[in-house]
Amino acid sequence: MDFFSESLKTALELITSRDPDVVSAVTVSVVVSLWSTLFASLAGVPAGVAVAVTEFTGKRAVVTLLNTLMALPTVVVGLFVYSLISRQGPLGGFGILFTPWAMVVGQTLLAIPIVANLTMSAIKGADPRIVPTALTLGAGPFESIRRLVVEMRFGIMAAVIAGFGRVIAEVGVAMMLGGNIRGYTRTMTTAIAMETGKGEFALGLALGLILMTVALMINMALNALQQR
Amino acid sequence: MKLLRPLFITLAVTLSLVSLAAAEERLKMSTTTSTQDSGLLKVLLPPFEKKNNCKVDVVAVGTGQALKLGEAGDVDVVFVHARKLEDKFVADGFGVNRKDVMYNDFVIIGPKNDPAGIAKAKTAAEALKLIAAKQATFVSRGDKSGTHMKELELWKAAGTDPKGGWYIEAGQGMGPVITMATERRGYTLTDRGTYNAFKGQKTDLAIVFQGEKGLFNPYGIIAVNPKKFPHVKYDLAMKFIDYVTGPEGLKIISGYKAHGEPVFFIYKK
Amino acid sequence: MSIRYRLDSIQTSYDSRTVLDIGRLTLRAGRLYILTGANGAGKSTLLSHLALLTAPTSGEIVFEGETVHWSNSALQRQRRDVTLVHQSPYLFTGSVAANVAYGLKLRGVHGDGLKQRVEEALALVGLAGFGHRRSRELSGGEAQRVALARALALETKVLLLDEPLANVDRNTSDLLENIISALPARGTTVVMTTHDPEHLERLKGERIHLTAGRLAAPQSFSNTSVEEGEIQPCRLSPKPATSFSIA
Repeated sequence: MDFFSESLKTALELITSRDPDVVSAVTVSVVVSLWSTLFASLAGVPAGVAVAVTEFTGKRAVVTLLNTLMALPTVVVGLFVYSLISRQGPLGGFGILFTPWAMVVGQTLLAIPIVANLTMSAIKGADPRIVPTALTLGAGPFESIRRLVVEMRFGIMAAVIAGFGRVIAEVGVAMMLGGNIRGYTRTMTTAIAMETGKGEFALGLALGLILMTVALMINMALNALQQR
Repeated sequence: MKLLRPLFITLAVTLSLVSLAAAEERLKMSTTTSTQDSGLLKVLLPPFEKKNNCKVDVVAVGTGQALKLGEAGDVDVVFVHARKLEDKFVADGFGVNRKDVMYNDFVIIGPKNDPAGIAKAKTAAEALKLIAAKQATFVSRGDKSGTHMKELELWKAAGTDPKGGWYIEAGQGMGPVITMATERRGYTLTDRGTYNAFKGQKTDLAIVFQGEKGLFNPYGIIAVNPKKFPHVKYDLAMKFIDYVTGPEGLKIISGYKAHGEPVFFIYKK
Repeated sequence: MSIRYRLDSIQTSYDSRTVLDIGRLTLRAGRLYILTGANGAGKSTLLSHLALLTAPTSGEIVFEGETVHWSNSALQRQRRDVTLVHQSPYLFTGSVAANVAYGLKLRGVHGDGLKQRVEEALALVGLAGFGHRRSRELSGGEAQRVALARALALETKVLLLDEPLANVDRNTSDLLENIISALPARGTTVVMTTHDPEHLERLKGERIHLTAGRLAAPQSFSNTSVEEGEIQPCRLSPKPATSFSIA
């Protein structure tokens, strides 16, 4: 059986017919990933900048930790968050397990180390003259770092895009915390996992092609914004 | 920041346009993969959701995990097939109002030429004994699902402790296990509904043993005990149970066909 | 004339290697100082201290009659009276005008006043009409002049220039020399470094020479504008002088 040509055909059919299940999965994937990326950036960018520009004891340990967390398996993050937000967990009272917000929490944790690490690398690789230049022109410590961030926005944007790439492509957290609920928490990746499980390989691959297309479009949009 | 601002504005607008939260009430149900993968839920749920202006969130996992979710209070209702575990679930106070819903049966599938010759066996336990004796490849779910529990029960009845290279513990759902058995030319125990969805295109394995009362596979539905977990939506869960086991639900179940064949059967009153 | 800086017992070391060791140095308002010395003699370190960017390892700097406390919030206020142009200056991404406006905006200059001062500063360095250009598209010499305009626009009390004439063509060099020599008359203290004896000759400045981090009488240049009588305790002994005052 020629899976690939068949799945290409299926993908086109699903797109042209605006299959409601596919539309919903794409929407959930994109919206959850964007929220996660937003929150991860709000935490990860300042953290990365802070680690990059300050000297403190144990900095090396923090950097090593960030590097390690970048390789964290998604199911571990999923399990960890699961243990917190299950009804029996300390945060069970919010009742967010098996909702899109559970996925946002898990994926945010997943993306923070990546965003922070790559932000840190970008800032570390920044031109060493930027901060002194800002200072000699009258900037205070905060303003000089703000300037540094503005100057390094391409690198930081790349960090954010990498974070987005990690969360939209992952399946562990989405499956575990979202529960793959049709029309609610079913994402592209959990749908692919499910269809594969059902033996619908061509459909799974078709969904994969759509996921890649969507990710490509979003990356292009982010890049276009960045070029402004 | 001036250059980042348009980005954030676009993000904010996109995010606020597509709201995650829905206004209607949500009933959380954990169930076994077979009810979802068979396609039954797609026809069974919408009339109920429409009538009660709610959404039924289906978390499809193995029976063992489905019950665990109930024990943690993470779902409002469970819809599974492992009678002994269900009874324990109720006896331990996690669930109330267990009701029989429907049944189908398990079958043993394997290569058409039936290398272990199990077709002539009298009982399912005897069939497994033959497989073990021949050390023919057997793929087990190995995931504490209802099907897995059934399989373990049968091995016990056969007086055999399956071990060795021929016994593959997959740790996966029914679908992947059928696929694996197909690729490895082995036997496996499956519910008839999932097999029907796979036969032909997705697997060339055939039913080599069926029709014994030991392979009976009843499904039950249980509300999670509101005394134990006050947050559960007990009233809605009870409405759902009444719907599924009432005339409307049973009619949909008995009339549901996949690949031209009925998948689940209801009890004659 | 009033005293801008008084440096007292300044010692600076990196990794226990002493790069600067100045007993005493006084810099006044409305003067042009020319800082000379071999590579690694401590010129950049001294400029960095004068710019109030980095603190010496020990010793005291009094700026405008106020002792500099390096971790103090007053530092930022004091720093606004000084600016430094690096020898290969960094221009922020964006337009030339935005670069020149940067320091002014931080000082609360806005609107038409801002626009006017940006244009004036650019005209001064011969780059009138360059405001809309992207900073990344400039040639090296143009970038150098934009950096100078960016500093000049601030009209700070002190202007520190690290090799401002090193990477520019002859015409630009003449233009910059004229601008620089006109500044002391307005009360600005200018400290610039140079390698080029020609500049030393043409610019009427007082010379500060560093040898291995210490103030010393210049060896290589014969005609220095610093008069003999001003070098007080410096004897040409094998032991370098640690105290040096340009009064």
